[in-house]
Amino acid sequence: MLSVEFLLNAITLGSLCALLALGLVIVYGILKLVNFAYGELIMITGYTLYLLNASFQLPWLVMALIGVLIAMFTSYSTELVAFRPVRTKSLSAMLITSFAVSTLLQNAALLLISPRARAVPLPKLFSASLTVMGIAIPWRNILTVVTSLVLLIGLTLLLKKTILGIALRAAADNFRMTRLMGVPADLVISTAFVISGLMAGIVGLFWVGRTASVTPTIGGAPLLIAFVATVIGGMNSLLGAVVGGYIYGLIFSFLGVMLPQTLLDYREAFMFLIVILILLIRPEGLIRGAGTGERVG
Amino acid sequence: MLTVENLQVAYGAILALKGVSLEVKEGELVALIGVNGAGKSTLLLTIAGVLRPVSGKITFGGDSLVGKSPEEIVRRGISLVPEGREIFSSLTVEENLRMGAFVRKNQAEYQQDLEKVFALFPILKQRLHQLGGTLSGGEQQQLAIARALMSHPALLMLDEPSLGLAPALVDQIFDLITRLHQQGTTILLVEQNVDRTLQIADRVYLLQTGKVKFGGTAAEVRHQGEVEKVYLGGVE
Amino acid sequence: MKNTNAGILWLKSHTTPFILSIPLLILAVLVQAYGDTLLVRIVTVLFINLVMVLSLQVFMGNSGILNFAHIGFMGIGAYTSVLFSMTPQAKAATLPDLYPFLRPIHLPFLPSLLIGAIAAALVAALVGYALMRLSDAAAVITLFALLVIIHTILVHWSIVTNGPRTLFGVDNYTSLGISTFFGILVIFIAYLFKETPVGLKLRASRDDRYAAASIGVNIVQVRWAGFVLSAFLAGFGGGLWAHFITSFSPYAFYLTETFSVLSMLVIGGTGSVSGAVLGTVVVTLLREGLRAVENSVNIAGVFPNNLVGFTEVVLSLLLILILVFRPSGLLGSQEIRLANTIPLASGKFSASELSRESSPKEGEHV
Repeated sequence: MLSVEFLLNAITLGSLCALLALGLVIVYGILKLVNFAYGELIMITGYTLYLLNASFQLPWLVMALIGVLIAMFTSYSTELVAFRPVRTKSLSAMLITSFAVSTLLQNAALLLISPRARAVPLPKLFSASLTVMGIAIPWRNILTVVTSLVLLIGLTLLLKKTILGIALRAAADNFRMTRLMGVPADLVISTAFVISGLMAGIVGLFWVGRTASVTPTIGGAPLLIAFVATVIGGMNSLLGAVVGGYIYGLIFSFLGVMLPQTLLDYREAFMFLIVILILLIRPEGLIRGAGTGERVG
Repeated sequence: MLTVENLQVAYGAILALKGVSLEVKEGELVALIGVNGAGKSTLLLTIAGVLRPVSGKITFGGDSLVGKSPEEIVRRGISLVPEGREIFSSLTVEENLRMGAFVRKNQAEYQQDLEKVFALFPILKQRLHQLGGTLSGGEQQQLAIARALMSHPALLMLDEPSLGLAPALVDQIFDLITRLHQQGTTILLVEQNVDRTLQIADRVYLLQTGKVKFGGTAAEVRHQGEVEKVYLGGVE
Repeated sequence: MKNTNAGILWLKSHTTPFILSIPLLILAVLVQAYGDTLLVRIVTVLFINLVMVLSLQVFMGNSGILNFAHIGFMGIGAYTSVLFSMTPQAKAATLPDLYPFLRPIHLPFLPSLLIGAIAAALVAALVGYALMRLSDAAAVITLFALLVIIHTILVHWSIVTNGPRTLFGVDNYTSLGISTFFGILVIFIAYLFKETPVGLKLRASRDDRYAAASIGVNIVQVRWAGFVLSAFLAGFGGGLWAHFITSFSPYAFYLTETFSVLSMLVIGGTGSVSGAVLGTVVVTLLREGLRAVENSVNIAGVFPNNLVGFTEVVLSLLLILILVFRPSGLLGSQEIRLANTIPLASGKFSASELSRESSPKEGEHV
């Protein structure tokens, strides 16, 4: 049962989940904001691909690049316009704002584009497979895993080697003290949102690639995945987010094989049950972060 | 250099500072003493821009600091070593120091600054790649001061640097403050260790329940017995 | 005599629910007498919304915990009440695989509503106690997780919910009169809960968790009590809604409805019953107005495609603007009440003098 295909699928899903969780946690670590509008960034990437494809003849890679950039820009703008003004207010105010932003973006897509699914262009490679030792591995999976690794390494370098990256980690550790070092609060928070947008954008390329289409509600499922993965790994740790993502991939794939057909429908409920249990038993997740849990403004 | 005039700061409805005025001149070591809850830390946090005053003025080198963000105030040359040290525990010692140097434009001088800091705190050189959270209390305090020095502050504010340290380490910290003072650093020091503080400070302000009870040279404070009044139950 | 005086004194300092109910009652009576079908519908919805928003306020307003699970309890109440109120024939038509013991049950409307509310309260009581230990982000995520779990179960438990498909054949019992009665009843319940010892303790725990604990408030217990009461009322509201709309699917009890109810509460003011009532009235009327615009634009065919999502776009923008410029809502934590100086004996509420309880300002942080 634990075949090579199973493992490959689990790792592919896990890679996407790890990126998703990272994008959520990088903002959470600093602002303690669980960003409900995160999933809509994936939707934005999808619609960018759709719109570009409908209007111009561009190579897929160029469209993908623009799609990711637009997701980063959207993430940055939502922070600027919606989150920055409520940052100093209560945590609930910030959470409700993010919920409102999510609703706004989804319904704007409904209003301006369509409630129906729109086709998204895919590179030919996405539908091809590589056969190794008699096992056909879809290129899409290989690309997912490789891209994730590259991104993870890149992000690690950024966070360890650049002054801005160190400042980001410092801000997640102790935001007030980071400002007392002269680091502008707006700079770190904006950077966190841009990175969050990058993660969502990249995941978005692969996520819309699964069905080759985009709908206004496409961001819901990945948002839920990011929630579960971050809680499993630990909300205060970037490493935890990555670990949580891969664990999610494994558990979810495993449940898919293990659960009898009648219970398979409840797989999502099971994942969220795990979330509740972890928060009750070990609220800091598997990997304890440095964050004090203190919220900042 | 730094003047505070009639400063009022509130936590919710409770006034923590009720019109505090004081002055720190260039090159001075000024100490703030007073019992817990007198408002010493509140004053430092307000000068650093973390708390906003209800009313009053803070000027530094002629410019008003009221309403400025903490990061802007650091750039103007005021560095705070807060109570409880607040080093970045998930960052290495070196990364902590790099954060301290964040406002320095000339990153080439970073290496020189680092060497200077190591001369003052040799232990930090040995711990360079350890995580801040794994240091002992005394080492963390040294790191906190070193980190603040990395920004070349014109005014260094220290909030209870000897708190929770073993006696031998307390000596070390006071020696260090004296040395920094002799090297010309302007220092605003909050301390509970009154005897030691009076020995090294140029001038002293005595804070009681949000007001300056007394201000003068260390010698004056001792002669007038103000300290005893405040600390030994001298309730009016 | 003494008791009567005490009663009058109490009423004088607790005029809020009366002030809130009287105009609403007048509105209901007028609409019942002169309104057309559409108006009756809108006002009925208004009162059902009132039940949903106030029940959310009972927990969220007093505990300060953002409760995403709320609409899940509405769903539980809706499906449970319907299982008891539907005729066996209707059940056979819409739920052919229903458990045999449920098939013959056919109760009147009110007992069914009550059972729905109790079911929601039971679920809340069972899962709630452990959850009430959590605060801040952990609490929010857990309650959100609970919503997802309830939703998943409603979608997949086809035997009792007809799965993701629409369940139909529910009798229309929720008249304007019924919804008015319960809407106003819940105004009183929500207001009185705030003033009970449990409500006071809950508010104390919201304002300062540690201070409340230090004076002996069992935070988990008071939160739990508020959570269960809130779920009970939400279950009740779900039942009312189900017997008004008469056919629905599990998707009615998910994020869209959560957004709707949450925006009413937040726009009005989470901290007070008055705010919740005002928010419900303002947003319900706004929604209906926007829907009307949407519909007339669609019928007129101004745009090539149908206008979808326009209402939500406007509402979410409004919600963001409120959060930015008036984060405590239109009314904040202030209850509307008559100034105590007005002599009640005169029998007249002399002026529109409304005094407002002032709330302590939050410590400013940069």
